[in-house]
Amino acid sequence: MRWVIKVKIAGEKMDNPKKTVLHGWHEEQGANMALFGNYDMPLWYKTGAKAEHLAVITAAGIFDTSHMAAVSVRGAGARSLLQLCLSKDLNTCIGKEKLPLNDGRCVYGVFLHEDGTVIDDAIVYQLQPEVFMVVVNAGMGGPIAAHLSQYGMGKDVVVRDLTDRVGKMDIQGPLAAQILAKVLRDPQAVFERLAYFSFKGGFGDLHGLTQVALTDGTPVLLSRTGYTGEFGFELFVKIDRLLPLWQMLLAAGQDRGLIACGLAARDSLRAGAVLPLSHQDIGAWPFLHNPWQFALSWNDDHTSFSKVFVGAPALLASNWQSHTLPFAGFDPRKIGAGDGSYVTSTTGERIGTILTCTTDMAIGRVAGEIVSIAGSPDFAAKGLCCGFVLVDRPSKPGEQVVLTDGKRKITVEIRADIRPNRTARSPIGKMLG
Amino acid sequence: MKELNELIFKDELRYTEDHEWVTVSGNTLKVGISDYAQDQLGDIVFVELPEVGATFEKGEEFGTLESVKAVSELYLPIGGEIVAVNEDLGDSPELINQDPYKNWIIEIKPADKGELKELMTVDAYQDMLKG
Repeated sequence: MRWVIKVKIAGEKMDNPKKTVLHGWHEEQGANMALFGNYDMPLWYKTGAKAEHLAVITAAGIFDTSHMAAVSVRGAGARSLLQLCLSKDLNTCIGKEKLPLNDGRCVYGVFLHEDGTVIDDAIVYQLQPEVFMVVVNAGMGGPIAAHLSQYGMGKDVVVRDLTDRVGKMDIQGPLAAQILAKVLRDPQAVFERLAYFSFKGGFGDLHGLTQVALTDGTPVLLSRTGYTGEFGFELFVKIDRLLPLWQMLLAAGQDRGLIACGLAARDSLRAGAVLPLSHQDIGAWPFLHNPWQFALSWNDDHTSFSKVFVGAPALLASNWQSHTLPFAGFDPRKIGAGDGSYVTSTTGERIGTILTCTTDMAIGRVAGEIVSIAGSPDFAAKGLCCGFVLVDRPSKPGEQVVLTDGKRKITVEIRADIRPNRTARSPIGKMLG
Repeated sequence: MKELNELIFKDELRYTEDHEWVTVSGNTLKVGISDYAQDQLGDIVFVELPEVGATFEKGEEFGTLESVKAVSELYLPIGGEIVAVNEDLGDSPELINQDPYKNWIIEIKPADKGELKELMTVDAYQDMLKG
């Protein structure tokens, strides 16, 4: 067996990779480690990526996400700076009523270069009217802080890169709130009206108007967000409090099926949930014709934006014709994304490249339709390959394309959505049981 | 990831540089992957097996193993004819993770049994893994 593996999520070992504060714990647990964003991170633990993926669908999993970076943006000019740089319109981004971003709410968007290509995707948290936290991907704290500082020149705003100074972890899965309740002070009050993409509390010197504390008194910022498509939370604490929080949650969830999950499960969960991996599914090409146009501030007629932002003129003038499309296969077989693999039409014409190709282990097909174990607990899912392709033409859901590495060929179906019965938006009251 | 001292090795097997094992059973040979290989791959989700009756040269690709994160090609350690494939792997590819030595992948009738001598003993394989 030869290692012809093209695992884009994890590269070769570096001489001096960065380590998160949970690195020692990962190694003690015998995790299979790999490099991701210059951090030595767990790909999976001894439980295996499949068990970890399934735990998040049926129970809960915790993820070390402290390799991700945060940037604080403060001052009278903070909001207008973010409104200039973020793709999403902060004045109309909340709910169907198109309300403005306000304290305790967060929003997903992308930061673009002037030419309309992607620097990174981000979640922007409004803690106070003049205090924001921007959470970006591993290694992007510096570049995003520099980008914001450049456009903030002359504005009353202070931008600070908090890379490696924020303790962040996620708990995801249907039992996340029930387990989290055991480690929170006054969980009932904390969970009250904690809608999807809202948060409470604060940590370090980032404070909102609400306070949330763990049972040991540790201040925490608790956000109803995640990167799995499932119900759950992202938690932020001072970096020296992350290991105690991690261990408290593991103990609290032990009898509920909670397990630690690595990057492989995170990748397969997010792909099945049609969420992009920055610098892989979005990146150095215009942010157009992809499944994530909700991250832009399009007007209803989709011909203009509701505001001016960095990169917007280039997008409006762009003649970019390629399309980023989600797909799912008919069995677990994959073609590795990477050099040498490509996409053809069913008649063999070369039409594009594979951006992501992984296996969502919670799903399978019944009479052609995708079924998840979330909706059918007795369903013996074998898994389906899924991900994203970048092709030179539009395509409708249900149409087929072929993935190939030059030797093996796999026919897959273009999809509007992939894993059914996702819980991310489920009301918190329902999930508390 | 398992440390070297946690990995299971079988003294009676012969190993290849591609982390496959070979064992003699009468006139035929069974081929599987080592504990090191299954540990590195992680959860195996699909095994693509050759047709019984097909013949391959030594070193030729005869199938693929897919884990959650990887697609790995399988190469024949000794040239010959495929006389059997482990059908159980079609429904339960995870058997390889559970016991990579009990759960063989293919059985071959070797064209030249002498090629067995070119494979590694368990000591040589362990030395290779130690680097």
